[in-house]
Amino acid sequence: MVTNWSGTGASESSVSLGFFAAPSRNLETPILPVPQSTDSLLLDGKLSELPRVTAETARFCRRYSLSAEVELELNLVTEELFSNAIRHGGCEGMRDAARVQLEMLADGVAIEFADRGAPFDPTAAPAPELDAPLETRQIGGLGIHLVRQIVRDLRYERVDGWNRLTMRRPTREGKS
Amino acid sequence: MIQLSEETRSGWRVVSVSGRADSEAADALEAALRSAVKTNARVAADFATLDYISSAGLRAVLEAARAAQTRGSEFAVCGLSAPVRKVFEMSGLHHVLRIHGELPC
Repeated sequence: MVTNWSGTGASESSVSLGFFAAPSRNLETPILPVPQSTDSLLLDGKLSELPRVTAETARFCRRYSLSAEVELELNLVTEELFSNAIRHGGCEGMRDAARVQLEMLADGVAIEFADRGAPFDPTAAPAPELDAPLETRQIGGLGIHLVRQIVRDLRYERVDGWNRLTMRRPTREGKS
Repeated sequence: MIQLSEETRSGWRVVSVSGRADSEAADALEAALRSAVKTNARVAADFATLDYISSAGLRAVLEAARAAQTRGSEFAVCGLSAPVRKVFEMSGLHHVLRIHGELPC
């Protein structure tokens, strides 16, 4: 399934919550109900921003009665992408370094993550050696590996100095 | 936020970890587990009240397990909730760690 996103946040303020127009979709994409809402959060480049993401994700999950498992995995995806942008992308200390947006779809949660760090395409990152023994097990790349395990339809583009990722965490209890 | 506490039960030094083992808390988690491993032959990390773990938290657990192996100590992970266990499984770390449903003591 292909999900296109409309708007990259030109109208967003530092913390904007509200309703946006439905995204435009490719012709071959099944027509889905209009997304129920869009929450968007703009983050400075520091790990102490994580509790804001956690709180916003918790609110989102409560609103749509999503399970603890879905909530944990949404948090995991955003934390891994955000901490990567800070540690490896040069976003440390940058104002308005990243943006997170969650959207309820009929068959899951659409996640958009964007950051102003160095160009990095996680869809092209090598997979870690998961079966290596304890002595030699490398932990690098694990965050991106977890993201790729959790989400479907991970897409990357570089737009106007932003790394922009869109993806979907499927839900069995998909809302319509 | 992460809360850490320690006690000895049936010969195991048990480090109980509550809350969130995320990027912000990983250093505190690793320090507590390494310290326990340094002074005890059998250490268990009790995750029964752990709500969340990310790769940063997994890295802390992996480093503690490595330190235990170097010292010849036992190190076990116990009491994972289903969503947290799933993260361990996705990471592949369940292959290299001793994971118990119940505390080994």
